[in-house]
Amino acid sequence: MGLIAQLLVNTLQIGAVYVLFSLGLTLVFGVMKVINFAHGQFFTLAALLIAAAMPELTVRFALPAWLDYFVCFAAASLAVSALAAVLYFGAFERYLRDLIGSFILSVGLLLLMEGIYLWVFSGAPRVVPKLLTGQVSVLGGSLETQRLVICGIALAFTFGLYQLVQHSKLGKALRAVAEDREAAMLQGIRYRRISFYGFMIGSALAAISGGLIAPLVAISPSIGNDYLSKAFIIIIIGGLGSIPGAILGGFLIAAIESFAGYFFDLSYATIAMFLLVMVFLLVRPQGLLGHAQR
Amino acid sequence: MLSARVGQCITALGAVAVLAFALLSENEYHQHMLIWIALNAVLAVGLRFMLLVGETNIATGAFYGMGAYIAAVFTVKWGLPFPVALLAGGVLGVLVSAAFGMITLRTKGPYFMLISFAFTEVTRLIYTRVEWLGGNSGIMGVFPPQALDPWMPAFSVLLCGGLILLMYLCESSHLGKLFNAIQNNDALVETVGIDVMQIKLVCLVVASFAVGVAGSLHAHVYNVISPGDFSYLLPVFALAYVKVGGDSHVLGSILGATLLTVLSQALQGAGSLEHILFGGAIVAAMLVLPDGLWGGGQRLLRLLSGGRA
Amino acid sequence: MKHLMAWAAAAVLAAGIASGARAEDNILRFGVFVPMSGAAASWGIGSAWVGQQAAKEINDHGGIKAGGKTYKVEVIAYENGYNSADGGKAAQAMLNRDGIRFVIQGIGTAPVKALQSLSERTGALLLQIAWGKSVKGPQAPLTFTSSNTPFELFGPLIDAVKRQHPEAKTVALLNPNDATGQEVEEEVVKQYKARGYTILTSAWYERGTTEFQPIATKLAQTHADIMDMGAPPADSGLVFKELSVQGWKGIKIQSAGTGADATVKVGGAAVEDTYMGAAADFAGPTATPIQRKLNEGALAALHEPLNVLQLATWDAAMATKAGIEKANSIDPRKVAKVLPDLIFESSYGPAAFGGKETYGSPQQMLVPIIVSQIKNGQTVEIERIIPAELKQRLAKQP
Repeated sequence: MGLIAQLLVNTLQIGAVYVLFSLGLTLVFGVMKVINFAHGQFFTLAALLIAAAMPELTVRFALPAWLDYFVCFAAASLAVSALAAVLYFGAFERYLRDLIGSFILSVGLLLLMEGIYLWVFSGAPRVVPKLLTGQVSVLGGSLETQRLVICGIALAFTFGLYQLVQHSKLGKALRAVAEDREAAMLQGIRYRRISFYGFMIGSALAAISGGLIAPLVAISPSIGNDYLSKAFIIIIIGGLGSIPGAILGGFLIAAIESFAGYFFDLSYATIAMFLLVMVFLLVRPQGLLGHAQR
Repeated sequence: MLSARVGQCITALGAVAVLAFALLSENEYHQHMLIWIALNAVLAVGLRFMLLVGETNIATGAFYGMGAYIAAVFTVKWGLPFPVALLAGGVLGVLVSAAFGMITLRTKGPYFMLISFAFTEVTRLIYTRVEWLGGNSGIMGVFPPQALDPWMPAFSVLLCGGLILLMYLCESSHLGKLFNAIQNNDALVETVGIDVMQIKLVCLVVASFAVGVAGSLHAHVYNVISPGDFSYLLPVFALAYVKVGGDSHVLGSILGATLLTVLSQALQGAGSLEHILFGGAIVAAMLVLPDGLWGGGQRLLRLLSGGRA
Repeated sequence: MKHLMAWAAAAVLAAGIASGARAEDNILRFGVFVPMSGAAASWGIGSAWVGQQAAKEINDHGGIKAGGKTYKVEVIAYENGYNSADGGKAAQAMLNRDGIRFVIQGIGTAPVKALQSLSERTGALLLQIAWGKSVKGPQAPLTFTSSNTPFELFGPLIDAVKRQHPEAKTVALLNPNDATGQEVEEEVVKQYKARGYTILTSAWYERGTTEFQPIATKLAQTHADIMDMGAPPADSGLVFKELSVQGWKGIKIQSAGTGADATVKVGGAAVEDTYMGAAADFAGPTATPIQRKLNEGALAALHEPLNVLQLATWDAAMATKAGIEKANSIDPRKVAKVLPDLIFESSYGPAAFGGKETYGSPQQMLVPIIVSQIKNGQTVEIERIIPAELKQRLAKQP
C-alpha cells in the first residue's frame, strides 16, 4: 500500500506540471495548426530568469524568499510573454496553418534560443532557494511541502484555463477555430486575432509552468527538451488540440513514468511511451478525447 | 525548352567539375567536406521526395541509421565485402520502410509526421539497449577496403549523385505527376481509380532505398557510429537544407545541403556560437526567403530579365 | 535560367571549399575537443577556459622550446556534440582543416573514439579523459588519459567507505544510459562484488531527465545500505533529495562525483555526508597554489568552481609542453614516445604516466586519487591517495 501510494503521489506531482506545459502546446496546435518546437524554450527562459534574478533581489531589497519568488515569477512571465508576442508577429504569423514551414521555423528558433541561453546563462545548473521547508504525507506517500503547494498552484491554473476555454467567449472562439476554421470565420470570428490570443495563452502557460518548476529542479538551458518530448507524447495521446485530452494524457504519461519506471526501467519506459504514441496515431489518431478531424 | 536543355548541360558540367575536384584535391579535409555534402544532399533529396506527396517523413533519420548499422555489422562483425554492405543498407531500407509504410501511411499530415518522429526516436533508443550493436558506444572500425581510399571522395560523390538522379528521374516521370496530384488533392486522385496508398508507399520505399544506401556509406566514411548520430535532429537538419535551398527543385535541396554543411563546418571552433548561428541561419532563411534560395534566385532572375523568362 | 542557378550553386561550393588552412610559424595550436552545448556543456566550457589559462601560463613563462625554436601556444575549442557523428566532423576540422597536432582535452567516450580513429592515423597526440578502458592501449600509442578513471579510483573509494562503514552489505546503483555510464556501471559493479557487497538493483535513466521521483522510489524500495550514483552532480543531488523525502537513510556515494557544488545546490541538506570519487576542493588546504588560483579564476569567469575533469586540461597541457621539450621536437609521435618516461609538474605536483598493468601500455596519467565527502555543504577531502606506481617512479628520480 505504501508503495502504491508513493507511486500515485509521484504521478500527481509530475503530472501536474506536465499537464500545464502540454496544455499550452496543444492550444497552439489547435488554433494555429503549428507544432511549436520552441515551446520548451519559453518554459526554460522563465525558469532561467527566475533563477538568475532571485539572488539579486534578495541581496538588494532583502525580501522574504516567497515574495521574492512571486515578484520574479510575475516579471519572468511578463518578459517571456513579451518575447512570445515579438516572435508571433515577427515570425509565426507568416506560417499559420503551414505545418512544415512552422516546424522548421520553430526548430530554428529552438537551436537559436538554446544557443543564446547557453551563451548568456552558461551551462552550469542553477537552483532557486528553497521556499518552504518540511515534507508532508499524502495517502501514505511522502513529498516535500513546497512540491505539494506548487502542484496545487499548477492544478489551479489548469482548472482556470479549463473554465476559460469551456465557458468564456474567448474560449468558445478558440475552440471553434480549432475545430473548423472556415465555419468559425463564417460565424464572424476573426481568425488572426484569435490565433494570436491562442499563441499568447499557450506561451504564457509555458512560462508559468517553467516558473513553477523552477524551485523543484536543477535549471539548465536544456531542461525544456525533456518536457517538450514528453508533451508531444501527451498531446498525441490526448488528441492534438484537445484540452481535456492534454489533461488526461498528462496524468497518464506521468503514471506510466512512475509505475513503469518502478517496475521496469526508466529507459524502457521511454521506449514504451514512444511505441504507445505510434499505436495511438495509427489506431486512434484523434487521441483519447480529440475530435475526429482529418 | 532550350533553356531547360542548357540548364541540364550546365548541371552536368557542374557535376563533372565536382567529380574532378574529388579526384584531384589533395586536401583530406576538403575531400571529407565534399563527402559530407554528398551524404547530406541525399538526405535532403530523400526527405524532399516524400514532400512531393505532401508528407513530412522524419523516419528518414531512422532508415539512414539502419543503413549505417547494418553496414557496420556486415563489415565489422561478419567481414562481408564493401559492396554487399552498401547494398544491404538499401535493401534494409526497402524492407523496413515497406512494412512501416503499409501500417503508417493510412495516416497523413501531422499524424504521419509525428509517427515518423516517434519511430526515429524508438529506433535510436533501441540501439542504446542492444549490447550486440555496441550499446551507446556504437560500432567502431567501419573501414572501406584500403585500396578504395584514394577513390573514396569520387566514389561517394558518384554514388550519392546516382541516388539523387534516381529520385530525380522518378520525379520527372509519370510517377512524379501522380505524386504532384496526390499532394494537391489525394481524394480526387482516388476517384479516378488510383490507389493513393500504393503510390505513397512506392514513394517512401524509393526514398528509403536511397537514404539506406547513403547511411551505409556514412558508416564507412565516419568509421565510427553511435546511436546519438541518428536522432530526430538529423532529418530536422535535412528539412532545413530543403527549405533554405528551396523546395521547388531538386537542385535547391542540393544547394541548401551544400550551404548549410559548409556553414556548420566554418563555425567549428566557434564554440557555443555554433548553435546560435545555425539556428539563426534557419530562422533568417524562413523569414527572408520563404521559398528558399532557389525560389529567391528565380525571382531575382525574372526581375533582371524584365519578365521575359 | 536554370543554368545560372547551377553556376551559383557551383560558386557557393567552391567558395566553401576554398577556405584553406593557415599555418603560422612559432605558434603551436592545442585543440580542446569537448561538448559546448546540451547537458554536458559546462564541462566543455570549463575545459576550454582552463586550456586558455594553461596557454597563458606557458606563454608568460617563455613558451615551449624545441628544435632550436620557441613556440607560443594557442588553444582552440571544438564542439564535439557529445556524439560520434559531430565528433567525427569536429575531428576533421581540427586535425585536417586546422592542422592541429596536439589535443589536450577530449570529453565524451563516443566522440573521443571518433576522434581517435582519425588522430592515430594522422599522427596527432591525444590527451583526453574518456572513461572507457578500450580508449587506450598498445593499439592506440598516441592516446593518453589525463585524469583518473573508474579503473584507478573506484577501488580506493570503496575501500575508504568500507573502512568507515564496515557494517554495510548491500548496494543499489543508478547510472545514465550512455556510453560512459555503461562502462562505469560495469567497472563499479565489479569492484563492489570483489569486496563482497550484494548489488540489489542497478537502474538506468536517460540523460536530460528532469523528474526523478520514479527513480528515487525504485531505489528507496530496495532499502539498500549504500546508494551509488553514477549520475552527474545535479542529477545525483535531485535523486538524493527525493530519497530523503521518501525516508531512505543510508550511505550515499557519488562514485563519479566531480564536485559538491552542484550536488549541494540541488540536494541541500539531503546530500550531507555523500562520498565522492572524483571531487576535489581546489580552494581547500590540500589544494596546491596553482589549483587555488585557477579555482578563483573559474569562479569569477564561469561562476562555478573547477572540477577535476576540467582541471585535467591544465595537466594535459603541461604534460604536452614537457613532452615536446624532452623530445626536442614538435613531432607528436616523438613526443608520445618520451611521455611514459617523463616526470612533469602537474597542478597536483610532480606527475607521470603509468598503468601498464591495466591497459597494456603506460598511457594513464598518475595523479592523486581524491576521496572526499560533503560536510556542511562543502567538499571536504578525506584522502589524497598518491598512486603506488607514482610513488615508485618518484622514488627512482634522483
